[in-house]
Amino acid sequence: MKRAEMIARQKKAKRLLSLFLFVAATIFSIWFIKFDIVAFFNGIPLFLNFLFVDFMPPNVNDLAKYVRPVLDTLAFGVVATVISSVIALVIAFLMAHNTAPHPVVRVALRSVVSFIRNVPFLVWASILVVLFGVGTMPGIFALISLGIGFLARLYAESIEEIDKHAVEAVEATGATYLQKLKQAIIPQFMPGYISWTLFMFEITIRASAILGLVGAGGIGSQIKLTMDLFQYSKTATVVTIMILMILAVEYVTQRIRERLL
Amino acid sequence: MKIPISHKATRRNQRWFFAIMIVLFIPCAFYLKLSYSQFMDGVGRVPDIVKQFLHISLEDLPTLLTELLTSLIIAFLSVIISVFLSLLLSFLIADSTAPNRLIAKGLRLIVVIVRTIPTTIWVLLAVASMGFGSMAGVLGLLFPTTSFLIKSFTAQIDETGKDSVEAIRALGGTWWHVVFNGAIPTLYTTFLALIAFNFEITVAETVILGMVGAGGIGVLLQEYISYYEFAPLLMGILVVFITLFILELVTNRIRKRLADNAR
Repeated sequence: MKRAEMIARQKKAKRLLSLFLFVAATIFSIWFIKFDIVAFFNGIPLFLNFLFVDFMPPNVNDLAKYVRPVLDTLAFGVVATVISSVIALVIAFLMAHNTAPHPVVRVALRSVVSFIRNVPFLVWASILVVLFGVGTMPGIFALISLGIGFLARLYAESIEEIDKHAVEAVEATGATYLQKLKQAIIPQFMPGYISWTLFMFEITIRASAILGLVGAGGIGSQIKLTMDLFQYSKTATVVTIMILMILAVEYVTQRIRERLL
Repeated sequence: MKIPISHKATRRNQRWFFAIMIVLFIPCAFYLKLSYSQFMDGVGRVPDIVKQFLHISLEDLPTLLTELLTSLIIAFLSVIISVFLSLLLSFLIADSTAPNRLIAKGLRLIVVIVRTIPTTIWVLLAVASMGFGSMAGVLGLLFPTTSFLIKSFTAQIDETGKDSVEAIRALGGTWWHVVFNGAIPTLYTTFLALIAFNFEITVAETVILGMVGAGGIGVLLQEYISYYEFAPLLMGILVVFITLFILELVTNRIRKRLADNAR
């Protein structure tokens, strides 16, 4: 009985302590970045006002001008998804537990992929803009690096999740490494591959909206351009186009998924 | 004789998938007009830039760390505010707790729209409205984080919270009873896990956000890139990498512990 009481008291103390730490952290945060609460909450209606007054109504006069950026963005997405899915597939087979040829290869690739993934996408894009100059090339390469970091990890996880028994059965017949891959692993991994690749395509569309901000092409460049010129009604049009594009791509990939899986 | 063991329709569909992938890829690759000489020029510049990257200097480390702390704080504050907002709104939206169907539908639509706009765009808009600085960062992040949390919270309420909600309703409990005695206690740990996950995403995003002018370490990174100062840039990238890596480990551990606790 006493023990139970003690545990309950300890739990309560722990809860109080975490609450205290939480409040302290909040106060420190507000102080550290000189966060002005009053100004912030006053800013919210101003922001909404900005959104609904300065941006409305969308300026639809030159819709034809946006066709090219939209096509660019879609083409970016396709090319980057295909290339990164091929590269990530090879890496994933080399770094998944059950298919890695050697533990050293696995660990080395894992750290490289983790590095690629954890350096923010916009940083990659900016560095690539410095390397290749403004244009489509840095955009494509930034998307590919994003895709490799993202897909290699997810592919490797799907490969690790597959049923061991089929692999063992094929191994027992004396199959070579490549035969094992082809007969036992790839058929099981296929649905995961298709699903993640489609998801990657969705992500590239979102990401290429951002790429334009650093001068790497796509529809994002239109957002930056119109905002820099304070043509907010045009920005509203571009953002609307972007939303529609993202929703359409999500719809299509969802349909493909339903058909295939 | 060969006996086919795979499912024929699946195989055929998968073949279609790859065929379409290739058919789309080729015209797109040509459409983008990637020039080989531009590529070679860029590759030619790599050794030079790598050499500049490798002048490791610890000079900027203190500034980088303070700005990193700012980034973390921006993420922290926006997650806190988002948690409050989304807790309020989720119960109005979730099917099993929504007091009014029509309001729920309207709110759901707004959440979908807010979610579709990328975070960076939100921050860009916030910066345009509030001016540069960390407050714009918090404001801009508020929209995507809140909509993410609302989406995951409502899914959880409808999925796991259903039983306790129904039980309380059957006893004649009011809406407040349903929310505070039914849904919140049952979903407490799940919510914490979701918040931890969300915090991880948000920190990764704040780093980027600095690059469009919302304060934090991204501002420094952007400066280094535009002035071609590659040595401190490498330092900054490493700082970001290590932070995000540690955060990934910590949140994974927290989620694991919460999952164990819940069992």
